[in-house]
Amino acid sequence: MSELPPTTSVKRWLVTTNHKDIGILYTITALFFLLFGGVLALLIRVQLWDPASQVLSGLAYNEAVTAHGLIMVFWFLSPFGFGFANYFVPLQIGADDLAFPRLNALSYWMYLFSGVLLGISFFQGGTLSAGWTMYAPLNVPMYTPSIGSTGAVLALFMFVVGVTASTVNFLTSIHHSRAEGMGIMDMPMFTWSMLATVWMMLFAFAALLAVGLILAADRVLGSVYFSATEGGSLLWGHLFWFFGHPEVYIVFFPALGVMLELFQTFSGRRLVGRKWVIISICLISVQSFLVWMHHMFLTTINLEIKTLMMATTIGISLPFDLLVFSLIYTLIKGRIQFTTPFLFAFGALLLFIVGGITGVFLGAIVLDYEFRGTYWVVAHFHYVMFGGATALFGGAYYWFPKMTGKMYDEFLGKVHFVLFFLGFNAVYFSMFLAWETPRRVFEYNPAFQSMHQVGTVGAFVLGFSFFIMFYNFAKSYVSGPEAGDNPWDYSRTAEWAVSSPPPLENWPNRPSYASGKLEFVKDYVPDGGPAVKADENGNAATDGGDSHADHIRSYPYWDKHPSHASIWPFALSLATGIMLLGLSGFNDAIEFTIGETLATTSVTVANPVYLVLTVLGLLALIWTGVKWGLEDFYAPPSEFGERWPFEGVEKVKLGMWFFLASDVIVFGAFISAAVFIRYNAGWMTWEPLTESLPGLINTFVLLTSSFTVILALVAAHRNSRQGLLASLGTTILLGFTFLGIKMWEWHHEVFDRGVTLSQNAHGEPIQASVYYVTTGLHGVHVVGGLLIAMFLFYRAYQGHYLDDERPIEYFGLYWHFVDIVWVFIFPLFYLF
Amino acid sequence: MIDSLILQQGSDWRAQAEVFDEIFFVFLALGTLVGTIVVSYTLWNVYKYRDDGSEPKDSFDAPVVGELPTGQGGPKAKKLFLSFGLSAIVVISLVVYAYGLLLYVEEGPETDEEGDIEILVEGYQFGWEYEYPNGHTETGEMIVPADQRIDIQVTSRDVWHNFGSSELRIKSDAIPGDTNSNWFSVSSEEVEAQGGEATFLVECFELCGSGHSAMKGQITVIPEDEWEEWYEDTEGESNSSRIDAPAPGGVSA
Repeated sequence: MSELPPTTSVKRWLVTTNHKDIGILYTITALFFLLFGGVLALLIRVQLWDPASQVLSGLAYNEAVTAHGLIMVFWFLSPFGFGFANYFVPLQIGADDLAFPRLNALSYWMYLFSGVLLGISFFQGGTLSAGWTMYAPLNVPMYTPSIGSTGAVLALFMFVVGVTASTVNFLTSIHHSRAEGMGIMDMPMFTWSMLATVWMMLFAFAALLAVGLILAADRVLGSVYFSATEGGSLLWGHLFWFFGHPEVYIVFFPALGVMLELFQTFSGRRLVGRKWVIISICLISVQSFLVWMHHMFLTTINLEIKTLMMATTIGISLPFDLLVFSLIYTLIKGRIQFTTPFLFAFGALLLFIVGGITGVFLGAIVLDYEFRGTYWVVAHFHYVMFGGATALFGGAYYWFPKMTGKMYDEFLGKVHFVLFFLGFNAVYFSMFLAWETPRRVFEYNPAFQSMHQVGTVGAFVLGFSFFIMFYNFAKSYVSGPEAGDNPWDYSRTAEWAVSSPPPLENWPNRPSYASGKLEFVKDYVPDGGPAVKADENGNAATDGGDSHADHIRSYPYWDKHPSHASIWPFALSLATGIMLLGLSGFNDAIEFTIGETLATTSVTVANPVYLVLTVLGLLALIWTGVKWGLEDFYAPPSEFGERWPFEGVEKVKLGMWFFLASDVIVFGAFISAAVFIRYNAGWMTWEPLTESLPGLINTFVLLTSSFTVILALVAAHRNSRQGLLASLGTTILLGFTFLGIKMWEWHHEVFDRGVTLSQNAHGEPIQASVYYVTTGLHGVHVVGGLLIAMFLFYRAYQGHYLDDERPIEYFGLYWHFVDIVWVFIFPLFYLF
Repeated sequence: MIDSLILQQGSDWRAQAEVFDEIFFVFLALGTLVGTIVVSYTLWNVYKYRDDGSEPKDSFDAPVVGELPTGQGGPKAKKLFLSFGLSAIVVISLVVYAYGLLLYVEEGPETDEEGDIEILVEGYQFGWEYEYPNGHTETGEMIVPADQRIDIQVTSRDVWHNFGSSELRIKSDAIPGDTNSNWFSVSSEEVEAQGGEATFLVECFELCGSGHSAMKGQITVIPEDEWEEWYEDTEGESNSSRIDAPAPGGVSA
């Protein structure tokens, strides 16, 4: 552990794990991507100025359209919301930091370097040109052959890895680290919105991770999922939109949270029907997973299912109605202050109303049949997603004084809002009027030219308005007036109760809501023991040995000082970025020629650069991972937090459960993909490609290894170092046995049976791809587990884990999960 | 609304374009009405309850930093549920109404004994190919008779396209390995009005590659007897394209 350098040092920003620092990094990086995506948008608008003009070639236009969509949805909207979430969710719930500070830094650096990869992809023969929806099979190398296309897909994959880490972190923090007395229904609305957001993300992004992995396998390794005519295109559609529809709310909810806060703060009124608003938010989160096929009304899905999806789609609009009315009625009888933050939040509501009403049009299938693929859709989702993001700019003005300690310039803020609002409606409302134009087309009907020209002018006004904001923030940061702790008359949430900006560890003493309002209590810390909870009078309670204190006592490091700095999140992300950059050119640079036997199989390396990058990145990844594991980094658990509904679960274990829940969806998506493809190919036409005996042996090997992990935990509990080493060692040996049998099987299938990733002597090639990719993903999980197990073995050899066996326990959870997955995979590929 | 249901029952059929225009009009009228009411009501209240610097009323209960959040109940909550109920009724009745017409669009009109003309539409990068029941194929231009229900089976030979004609209000995804059905019909009056030959632009509505913008085709509708004559002549031959169509795989960027 190293000390955290001052904010003026560059090093500070590379090593910091503090949630406020990372929040600032997220916000600034997201604004950079707003500019990046914005410039691409302006290129599109310039091309649309004249239906006949060609500023960009057809391919370059498609690249601009694709990158604009990807950047705005993934690299701008969500991270911008998460910048504020990083900064303010811990403050609003009374926590010192997020549950896993290093993981939080890792999420940020994964996000940043994934953006760098996306930027590099433009120079690798052109980035992806298949649209942000990346419909199959346009997304496979046969139709988008550039290395940059693969680079962009891998960039998205890396982004999703960071998002998954972030999701686990926020879920654990909000469910584990709330201050005493803050029940789940007592959380501020911004935090509530973020909680719903991360719950949706946990499952939605797992589906995207799965579909991204399959696409990466198609592009890097050469499997044939999405080019398969046995349902490959529809498989993409289903998996992508299963993620894609919740994603709409994932980007909208942080903005909704800001609206809910700002409407209260700038009217001085509390939220109308608060409980029902929370219920609506929860309902939407669940319903969001049940509507995805309304993006596919024109495919061959049958009428019954389409009708069902129409009903669920209309169903999801109802809780939104309630949210909108609640926002409106909250303002009534208030004392509304037209500050810049409120103007943006209020503007967002108006834009969202337009987006919502035009969305009802799309819910009616007959209308959707005609609107599909037109500018009606483009206009609608910009009103919803970017309209929502309008509130995030309100959030930026609202929290700027808290984050910097300085006040922004109100006049410039209002000028920004006026230009923004006019430009916004000029560019997107004109799209409704020219709705018959097909999407992603630049040779359009000349009758719509004047409308598209209004849009182009609007886009430039909109773009320019942001320079006013940047100027305002830069100038105010340097020479603005001091803002004070609480510049707003009617703010309520806890971030306004501390200084601007807040101190490193947020609070003067432990924050508590036990009395019904925020107080800072001083706990009694006896020598050689954990803190004892203070009672209402501030005296140390005598019955300090309650369950909370026991919970803390189980940490052997309870008295250590919390850490705030680590270089390993940065290093690990950089290593991952290098490895993925190498992998992007892997398929082009390296050619395998499969011979009769393994010995006659040759490898031709056309471009060693990509191979070297891959290997270097992988080695660096393993090295930084080990350094991460060895680093002495202490993030204390919250001492007397509210934890509903996970009261009895320790922090790291809770995080592990959340991670495994998302991994269930990843494997669920892979197995669903296998079932879907097989169903489309004709279920009974497939015979297993494998022999069942080796698979059966492997099943026993894995199940036995699950048992030995339990023995390891028992041995650690009994302080038996030898027992621990023996059972952990057996687990590792069994894991390697599993991999050995697996390698024999693959060797047998490739060289004796003529079944490779893209060729199948016994049936359709897609069957071979499904088999290798699904079992391969499981194999990668086994390899990952073995790496961790060997690390644990090494540490156990040094004598660790006897006083604190939790790492063994959590590794065991992961290992059991991997074994259970195999129990599902085995019958699918070996028996039927 | 009732008219449309009666029309469905009768012997007369309606083109998809007509159905669409009716629903679109109803949605647009109601959407504009609801939107205008909600937005005006909101703007008026925001103006009315602005902070004009006067002393707050006694009933004004200002929130303080650090309070545990509570909601507002009372008459406002009642109003909330009333508006919610109203909006739910509007939205649900709109959809039920639109659903009736969806069934019609999915089914298509009844046709006479002689059967329909079924044309296989195959998208490719970057154009359309049409195959008639007699095996004749056309590229770029689909020639069909007036007053007939034309059934199309849409698929793709490479990537995901979308076959659509905005004027006819028809659209179908063209998915490789999958076939999608749709239908359309153009009356002889319409053909007369356009001077004996009605043409409709066909565009691709799903991004399909560098030539997507230029991936256009045409549907040409001619009087039934003229069409019969033309169709007789096509027996056995193919690609007698009457317009310049992009070559298969050609990039016209």
